[in-house]
Amino acid sequence: MSQENEDDYKFASCTYFARNHPGEMCGSNGLPLTPSSITILGRAQRLLTIEHPNLCTYLDVIRGKHERIIVVAEVIGKSLKECKSKFSYEEISNIGKQVAIALKYLHNQDIIHRTLSDDNILVDNSGRVKLFNYGLYYMTDAGTEVSFPLGLPRYLSPETILNGGGPAADVWSYGIILLEMCIGKLWNNLKPGPILRRILTLVHANNPAERIAREHDCFEQYKQVPENLRKIIEKCLKIYPSERATFNELVEELSQMNSKQLVEVKPARGLMGCKLQHLYHWWQLAGGDIQAELKRNCLIKNSPPILSMPIAILLDGCTIGGKDGALFDRRIAKYSLDLLKSRLSHVPPQDYYPLMHERKKEYDAVALPKIIRERDTEYQFYRLLWFQRLLHGYPYTAPYIRAEAEIDIPPLVRGDVWAALLGVVGDIEEQYERIDKETPTPTDRQIDVDIPRCHQYCWLLCGSAGHRTLKRLLKAWLLTNPQYVYWQGLDSLTAPFLYLNFCNEARAFACLSAFVPKFLHKFFLKDNSAVIKEYLAKFWQMTAFHEPELATHLHEINFVPELFAIPWFLTMFSHVFPLHKIVHLWDALLVEGPALPLFMGVGILRQLRDTLLASGFNECILLFSDLPEIDIGECVKESIEMCRSSPRSISYRRFTNEAEVKDPMDIVEIPMEVLFTEISPRINLSDFFSLICQDKCCVIDIRSNLLYEKSCIDGSINVPYSGVHLGQHELRALGLHPQRVLQEAIKMKKVVVVASAQEETAQLFSDYLVKCSVPKVCILHGGISALLTHVPSLFTVPPKRNGHK
Amino acid sequence: MKFERSDTMTAETSDNNITKTFKYSFPTCTNEEVLFKLEVPVDIPHRGSTRELVQRVLNMFHIPVYLEEELNEKLAKFVSEETKNFHNERDMKLLNKLKNSEINVEGIVKGWEKLFKEHVVEFAEQKGTSDEEVFAAAYHKLVHSPALETILQVENSYAKTVMNTLKNRDEDIKKLTQKQTEEMEEKVRLLNTSTTEQEINELATQQFEQQALVAGRWGSQLDALRQTQRAQHRAWLMTTLEEYQSTSALNTPSNSPLATFSGAVATPLAAAAGGERLEESFTIHLGSQLKQTHNIRLVAMDLLELCVLQEADCGVAASRRLQTSLSLYGGELAAAVLLAEAPPARPAPPTTHLLRAAALSTEHHFPDAERQLRDIADRLHDPVERRNTQRLKEQSEGTSSGAGNGSRCRSKRSLQTGDIFITKHSNLADVHVIFHLIVDDSELRSGDITSRHPAILGLRNILKAACSNDITSISIPLLLRHEMTEEMTAAWCVRRAELVLKCVKGFVLEAAGWGGAELRTLHFALPPGAAPALFAALAHLLPNIFRISNPVKVKHHA
Repeated sequence: MSQENEDDYKFASCTYFARNHPGEMCGSNGLPLTPSSITILGRAQRLLTIEHPNLCTYLDVIRGKHERIIVVAEVIGKSLKECKSKFSYEEISNIGKQVAIALKYLHNQDIIHRTLSDDNILVDNSGRVKLFNYGLYYMTDAGTEVSFPLGLPRYLSPETILNGGGPAADVWSYGIILLEMCIGKLWNNLKPGPILRRILTLVHANNPAERIAREHDCFEQYKQVPENLRKIIEKCLKIYPSERATFNELVEELSQMNSKQLVEVKPARGLMGCKLQHLYHWWQLAGGDIQAELKRNCLIKNSPPILSMPIAILLDGCTIGGKDGALFDRRIAKYSLDLLKSRLSHVPPQDYYPLMHERKKEYDAVALPKIIRERDTEYQFYRLLWFQRLLHGYPYTAPYIRAEAEIDIPPLVRGDVWAALLGVVGDIEEQYERIDKETPTPTDRQIDVDIPRCHQYCWLLCGSAGHRTLKRLLKAWLLTNPQYVYWQGLDSLTAPFLYLNFCNEARAFACLSAFVPKFLHKFFLKDNSAVIKEYLAKFWQMTAFHEPELATHLHEINFVPELFAIPWFLTMFSHVFPLHKIVHLWDALLVEGPALPLFMGVGILRQLRDTLLASGFNECILLFSDLPEIDIGECVKESIEMCRSSPRSISYRRFTNEAEVKDPMDIVEIPMEVLFTEISPRINLSDFFSLICQDKCCVIDIRSNLLYEKSCIDGSINVPYSGVHLGQHELRALGLHPQRVLQEAIKMKKVVVVASAQEETAQLFSDYLVKCSVPKVCILHGGISALLTHVPSLFTVPPKRNGHK
Repeated sequence: MKFERSDTMTAETSDNNITKTFKYSFPTCTNEEVLFKLEVPVDIPHRGSTRELVQRVLNMFHIPVYLEEELNEKLAKFVSEETKNFHNERDMKLLNKLKNSEINVEGIVKGWEKLFKEHVVEFAEQKGTSDEEVFAAAYHKLVHSPALETILQVENSYAKTVMNTLKNRDEDIKKLTQKQTEEMEEKVRLLNTSTTEQEINELATQQFEQQALVAGRWGSQLDALRQTQRAQHRAWLMTTLEEYQSTSALNTPSNSPLATFSGAVATPLAAAAGGERLEESFTIHLGSQLKQTHNIRLVAMDLLELCVLQEADCGVAASRRLQTSLSLYGGELAAAVLLAEAPPARPAPPTTHLLRAAALSTEHHFPDAERQLRDIADRLHDPVERRNTQRLKEQSEGTSSGAGNGSRCRSKRSLQTGDIFITKHSNLADVHVIFHLIVDDSELRSGDITSRHPAILGLRNILKAACSNDITSISIPLLLRHEMTEEMTAAWCVRRAELVLKCVKGFVLEAAGWGGAELRTLHFALPPGAAPALFAALAHLLPNIFRISNPVKVKHHA
C-alpha cells in the first residue's frame, strides 16, 4: 500500500495569545487576577479527555511565555479548504453526516463549537471526517479570554453577529458548509464587513439558502442539488434558531439518506496502533519539539523585545507604547512521527504486545534515578505498554500493579496507578454524584481562604477551575466523614489527587477517601492531639533508632518535632514539597504502606544532618521555617531502606485502622505517658524471635549477673545495669567485651535489643546507648519474663566464664 | 415544597442567565389522589450536573429513591429544553430588533470589522518587516558571528572620535571661559575709573552670546558627526552581513561563532567586579513549596556607573560592551531604575547625567536619548492630562474620605509620583533599558513610607514590565535615594531597605504567575557614600528576608 504524504502527519498545533488584563492590580477578592492563559488552561483540561471517532483528540495544551497558548491535537488527511476537487452529492452527504454526528456529540456535552469552518473539517482518503480544534470557543470561555474574534465571517450566523447565539448557531454554520460544498465558496474575495452585512440582510429573506445561491448566480446549480440535501440545507439556514433543525434530527435524516457505509479500516498494528496520547508522550521524550515547528512556520515570531519596549507606565498600570497585540494566525503546524519511528525502529513487533505471565526483560535503565528514567523514551515505551496492559486487568491484576509500582510508575498513567494502589473500585462516579458539594457549610470560609494559597505555582491548581474543584472535593470529603473536621493542610493533601485526576473529580475523591484512613487515621479529629503526639513520639523514636547522634543533639537543644514536623505528617509532606516531588514521595508511600512516612521524616533529617548538628535551637527553627531543598530521590531511597530494615513492631502505633493486636507475642502497646518518655522504641516478641533466628540482633541482658547465670537468652551478653555509669557516654566504660560485641553489632547493622527484668532500667540503659551513638537500639517489650513465658526455648544456661573478668 | 438555592449567584436575571422553576409532582404511597408537589428554581443555562442537583433535592425533601431515575430524566430534559428556549428567545428578540431596524447594524458591523482587521492575520493589512527589525536581525546575526570583534572595534573607534570631539569642545569652551573671565576681571577692576556699569553689562551679554555661539557650533558639529557615524555604521553593517552570508557559506560553514568568544566573555567579567566597591552576592530561593532561584547582589555604587562607558581602551570596558551588544536584541535584557524628579521634557539630575553618559558615543540603534525624552513627553501629554483630570475630579469628590492627602498632585499635566517613563539604549555600559521612576525626593527623604506608597507601587509596575518585556536583570536603588544625606541614619536605612526588599520579594513572587521572563538577577544599589558598617548591616538583613540557598548535601552512609 502506498501511503500518501498527508498520512505521515499525526498531530498538529496552533497557537494564540490569551487576553492581557488591563493594568488592574487586583480582582474583587483582593487577590491578583488570574491570567487568562491560566483560565484557558484549566478549561481546556476537559477537552483533553474527549474521545470520539469524528473529533480530533486533543493531546496537549501548553502555556508558553507571555500568555501564549499552544494547542496540540490529532490531525488526519486534509481540510475541506485544501480539497480542490469538487465533491459528489454522495460524498457531501457522507461528510455532512459525520460532521453532524460530531456536533451532536458536542452539543450533548454542552460544548458549542462556534468556529466551524472549512479549514477545521478534516477528511482522509477513505472518507473519514474529523473536526479539528473544535474547542476554541469552549476553552476561551465563549471567547472572553482572548482579544481576537472567533470564527470566520462567512460562517457566522445572523444572531452571532448580533452578539447572541447558542448551540443553534453551529447549525447555521453547518448549513453554510453544506451549501459551500454544493455551490462553491461563498462571498469569495469579500472583506469581513460586506460579508457580515450580507448575512444580516438575509433576515428579510424567506429562504436564505436560495437567496444566497441567487446572490452568487448559482441558483440553477442550487436547484440541481438533490432535493433531500437541499431540504437539509434549508432546515439549517433558517433565520430563527428555534426553527432550525437540531443535530439530533440532522443525523437521523442523513442516516436515512442511505449514505454508504464507510470502509472498515483495519486498526493499525505496531507503533501506529498505540494510543495517540502515548505516541505524543514518547515523541516528546524522543526530543520532539512543538515550539520549534511553530517557529519554523513563522507561527511564533521572535521580534526582539527591546524594540517593543513601552515608553511609559502610569501608576495605575496603564502602559503607553510597546507591543501591540499579536495577530491571531489560523494556520497550523503539522508534525510527523518520523523521529519516534526511527528511535523505536529496532523494537521487535511482539514487544508491542507484552504477555503478562511471561518473564520480563530487564532494562539497564532501572539502575538510573527515577527522574532520568521518566525521560527515557525507550524505557517509558516499555513501561507504559506494560502498565497499560496491567491496568486493563484491574482489579484482578492489583498485586502485579503493586509489584511494578515498586520499581516506578510512568508519569502518564500515575493517576490510574495510584487509584489502583489505593484499591479504588466500583461506580465511583455515582457515589460521588450523591454527595452534596454545593450547600454552604461553616467551614467554607476557611476553605475559601486556604485554597488560593494551596500549590498555586501549579498552573492547573491556580486557575478558577482548579479552585472550584478543590473546594468541591474538600466539601464532599468533610460531608462523608462527619467524624472529622477541616484542619488546615487538608487542602494540600487533596491537591496531588486533584492534580493527577483533574478531569476525574470522582476518582480524585475516591483516592482521597481511601488515602486518609490508610495513612492519616484519626488525624482530622476535632481533638487530634493524642494522635499527633503519638505519631511524633514514634517519629522521634525512629530518629533515635536510625540517627542516634542527631537525635541526641536535638534532644539536648530541646528541638522537638512538635516545632516542625506536624505539617509534615498531617499533610503527608504535601504541604512542604512541590507537586513534582510529592508524586515521587507518594509513589513510594502508596506501595510501602503507612509506616514509611515516619522514616521519610528521618530521611529528611538525615539530609540536613550536618547543618543540624552544627546548629543551636534558634538556627534550627530558622532552618525549618522554610525547608531547604531536599533531594527527594535520595530521601525516598533511604527511607525505604530504613523502613524495610526496621522490625515492624518498633513503628507500631495504636491509632491506625488496622485490626487490634491480640496475640501476646505481637503486643507492643504501652501507655501513652510511657511512650512519651521512651527514646528507644519497643520490639515485640515475634519480631525479636525472627531476628534471633536470622541472627540479626545483638541482645544485651542488663539483669544482675546472678540472674543471668541462672538462665539467659542464647547468644546474649550480660551488662548488669547496676554497674553502668550513665554519665559516661562512651562504650568503653561498659568494659572490653561488651564494647567489642557492640561495635561488631554496629558494623553488622544488627538490631541492639535491651532485655531486662524492669522496664525502667531498660529505658534508662537504652537511652544511654543512644547517647553513645549506638544505632538501632530497641527495648524488648515485656522484658525477660515475657520472653520466658512465651518462648522458653530461647533460653539457655550461659557457659561458665573463665578467664574473663 | 420550595427549594432554596444555595449558590452565590442569586436571582439576578441578566443576559447571560435566567432562573426557571422546575415543577414536579408525585403521588403519595397511600393515596393516589394526593400529590406531593415540588418546585425547584434552576439557573439557565445550568452550570454543573443536573444529576447532582437531583441528589440534593432527594436529600432535602426525603423523596423516595424509586423516583430518582425519573427525576434525573425529567430534570435533564427540563434543563436542556429551557436552555434551548433561553438561547432561542434571546436570539429571536435580537433578530426581531434587526428586522425592525431597531439595531445599529452599521455600528455592529464596524465593530466586527475592526476586530477582524486588528486581530486576525487573514484580514489584517499586510505589514512588511520594519527597517528597525531588519537592522535588528542583521546586527544580532553579525554580533553572534566572527565579525563581532570587528564590530566592536569599529564601534569603539567611532566612540573615540565622539569622545575626542567632546574633549576638544570642552577645552575650547574652557579656554573661552578663561579668556572671558580675565576680560571681565579687568573690566571690573577698572570700574568707576574708565568703565561704567553699563559697559560691564554689555560685555556680559556679549560674552554670553559668544558662549552660546561656541556651544552651538560644537553642538551642530557633534550632531553631524553622530549622524554620519550612524549612517556609515548602518551601511557598513549591512554590507558586512551580505559578505558574511555569502563567504561564510563557502568558507567556514561549521564554525561556531560563539565558541571562540565565550572564554573572552567570561573571564574579564569577573575582573570587572573588582575594585574597592562594597558588594556581596547571594543566591536565594523564593516560594513556599516550589522554589525559584534568583541572584541578588548588594552593592554600593552610583547606578550611573552602569551607564557610563569608561575609556574604551581598557579590557574591562570592552568586555562589558561585548556583553551588552550580544544581548541587545536577545531575550535577556538588563535594566536599571533611576529616580527622577523632573518630567522627561525638562530633565534634571540624575536624568541629565544619564543624557551625558549616553552622549559619549553615537546611539546606533535607537533615537538618541534626548530625542526619546522629547518623544515621550509628546506622547504622554494627552494620556497623562486625562488621567490627572480624572484624579482631580475623584479627589474633589472624595475629599471627605481623606484619599487626597497622600498623593500630592503637582499639576494637571505632569507625571506623578509612581509614574514611569522608559528609555532604551544601545551604547551604555551594562544596561539596555532605563526605568525612570518619578519620585518626590523630599517625601522619600523624610519620614517612613509604607508598602502602599506610590513609589513602591511604581516599583511593582517596573518589575511587571520587566517580566513581560524579557528583562532578566535589573538594578534598583535600595533606599530609593541616589545619595546619602544626613537624615539617612543607619536605622533609617535599615528600615527603608527592609521595606523595599520585602516589597520586591512580594512582587517577584507575584511575577512568577504572570508567565513572562524570569527576573534572574536583582542588583540592589546603595548610594556610593554608604559606610561599610551600614553596608554590613544591610547585607546581614538579606538572609533574614530571603531564604539563602544552601546546597543540597547528600550523605552516603556506608
